[in-house]
Amino acid sequence: MKNAPLLKIEDLRTYFYSKSKQAFIRSVDGVSLEIARGETLGVVGESGSGKSITALSVMGLVGGGPGVISGKIGFKTEKTRKNLLQDLDDHVKLAWDNGKIMGVDKDVVGWEKNAGRVMSGVRGKEIAMIFQNPKASLNPFTTVGSQITEAIQLHTDIKDPLQARERAIHWLSRVKIDTPRLRIDNYPYGLSGGMCQRAMIAMALACEPSLLIADEPTTGLDATIQSKITDLLAELKSELGVTTMLISHDISVISRLSDSVAVMYGGTVVEYGPARDILASTLESKHPYTSALLESIPTERHIKAKEHLRAIEGDVLDTVNIPAGCRFYARCNRVTDTIREKCERHEPDLREISPGHRARCWLYFD
Amino acid sequence: MPKTILEVTDLKKHFKHRKGLFSSFSEQERTIPAVDGVSFYLKENETVGLVGESGCGKTTIGRTILRLENPTSGRILFDGNDITAMPADQLRPLRGQMQMIFQDLDAALNPKMRIRDILKEAITVHHQASDEEVDRRIVELLEQVNLKKSKLSNFPHELSGGEKRRVGVARVLSVGARFIVADEPTSALDVSIQAQVVNLLRDLQQRLGLSYLFISHDLRVVELISHKVAVMYLGKIVEMGLSERIAHAPRHPYTHILWSSLVEKQSKEASRCTTRPHSGVWGVFDFERPQGGCRFAPRCPVYESKGKPVVCVDSASEPRLRDIGNGHQVACHFPL
Repeated sequence: MKNAPLLKIEDLRTYFYSKSKQAFIRSVDGVSLEIARGETLGVVGESGSGKSITALSVMGLVGGGPGVISGKIGFKTEKTRKNLLQDLDDHVKLAWDNGKIMGVDKDVVGWEKNAGRVMSGVRGKEIAMIFQNPKASLNPFTTVGSQITEAIQLHTDIKDPLQARERAIHWLSRVKIDTPRLRIDNYPYGLSGGMCQRAMIAMALACEPSLLIADEPTTGLDATIQSKITDLLAELKSELGVTTMLISHDISVISRLSDSVAVMYGGTVVEYGPARDILASTLESKHPYTSALLESIPTERHIKAKEHLRAIEGDVLDTVNIPAGCRFYARCNRVTDTIREKCERHEPDLREISPGHRARCWLYFD
Repeated sequence: MPKTILEVTDLKKHFKHRKGLFSSFSEQERTIPAVDGVSFYLKENETVGLVGESGCGKTTIGRTILRLENPTSGRILFDGNDITAMPADQLRPLRGQMQMIFQDLDAALNPKMRIRDILKEAITVHHQASDEEVDRRIVELLEQVNLKKSKLSNFPHELSGGEKRRVGVARVLSVGARFIVADEPTSALDVSIQAQVVNLLRDLQQRLGLSYLFISHDLRVVELISHKVAVMYLGKIVEMGLSERIAHAPRHPYTHILWSSLVEKQSKEASRCTTRPHSGVWGVFDFERPQGGCRFAPRCPVYESKGKPVVCVDSASEPRLRDIGNGHQVACHFPL
């Protein structure tokens, strides 16, 4: 029996307007995802595929216009149940043309006011986020301890400074920072990259959120530190059962931590399903993009034979000029003559190809 | 028998710690030994991978070999010429043959120049060439690095990461480089693009007979591209040998931990066992040299399990690189 989803994103669209190109950058273009309670959802894809913008949209932290323009984000815990994009439609007018959004009229001020109201009590408290660059996300002018304490006082019932400090020390030791009692008074520059990331995780978890969004938590760290942070996340997952949305382009991290995986390309989800199906080494029933992505990682076989890696030719999709057909068509190496026309002209839907496993590819349906 | 193109002997690079006004009266001058006695050689058509954590001196080695930094002591032989203290005017003709691919894609290309001008500048800096010659050479270079001609009139910010990397490689080739220091050429790229760059570098090596010093902390890529691998820890090489031996039969505890961290990250089974040896030791990483003896001792599991033998921390006996057969060298008192 599957748990009821904690977070349910439906048809989320986040666009940005590029003045120089006089066009929309369709960063997130109709993404639907679900995260069940206690589950870890891994989101993979190349840079520019819309992973981070999806996460920021959930957090209500998208800067720049027009930002989030349509969709629903259902968030349901024991205590609360709300749509994080409530009343969005009242603030946005979309002009459709030929199935594409060509014009957006958004009341930004009104929407921000509304979003602020909806998100208060959710952001930071119910949904916490770990950002990619830990050193840049911590305030360099105050100690790590005071930053964690501030979050605790703001979001939990603990208001007493000393108690909050004890709580912060507890969480620092929880994320395995040695001698937390001394480290709590360190400034971020006094901590190594790995320790900063641990402090960030401590800060995110200190308010006991229902959902943790980890955006590239291991990128930019050393190999040894990366594996330690991955260990830590795995441990926290098994001990605390934190529901996590894990964004990474490191497939080894995703494969280790995730229960289900969503593969994103050009602002859409191209494959979605249980981690073991999607990341399995067999090639059958997989989106061509996913298999190409998996094959471009050096493996034992490549190293032994010193053979060439199979690179995906071409570049990440330009989300300004989205082609009419399949978004991956230009780089796809599995187009057959029978489906070529469809691939070129029509975008496939995300459809189920085996129970619980969905893909957006003409190879699997007619 | 391929010729040795580069030979580095006991190279040291110590940076002086900048002093404040007041402490300059009282304290002794502090130096930071970024590279502390490194020796290795590189043959033609060969790739040596250099791995280690950030801060261990990988990039400094690369920069010092190319004389972008002046070495504190030691000797650098490039193609038979001693370039350790060669004056700039004599070094200039050699510069074209030894080049660097820089880590930061965006900082390496001038944002205000078009790609055509970036390449043109590189072509004409060492040789005089007419416009037609330059154009011909640019086309040739683009073909070599597999970049579209239409990109020539673009500015760097209009290119993707992979394309910027290709421009960097083209620029290095344009001056006729034979020896290239590739400093983390794939670290900022996605796996799919990373594969393109790795393939490109290997193709170029086969076609043009280049030699690489490949600096990276991505162990898989290093293992794939390198013939030999040197593992660095705090300014010293602790193990060096053929890449498959380093990866599959490491003898130094540090190398072992590095490569096993890779396996751990991948295996799902590992996540189930929560207790892991030496996880506590890992948090502390001091860039300054510990007390004496083996640099790795404070984090070393072997040192722990052998009951902290005195020889490991004795300042008189720092382990030296010794040969243990087949060109495999290790600096450890108790190799695994």
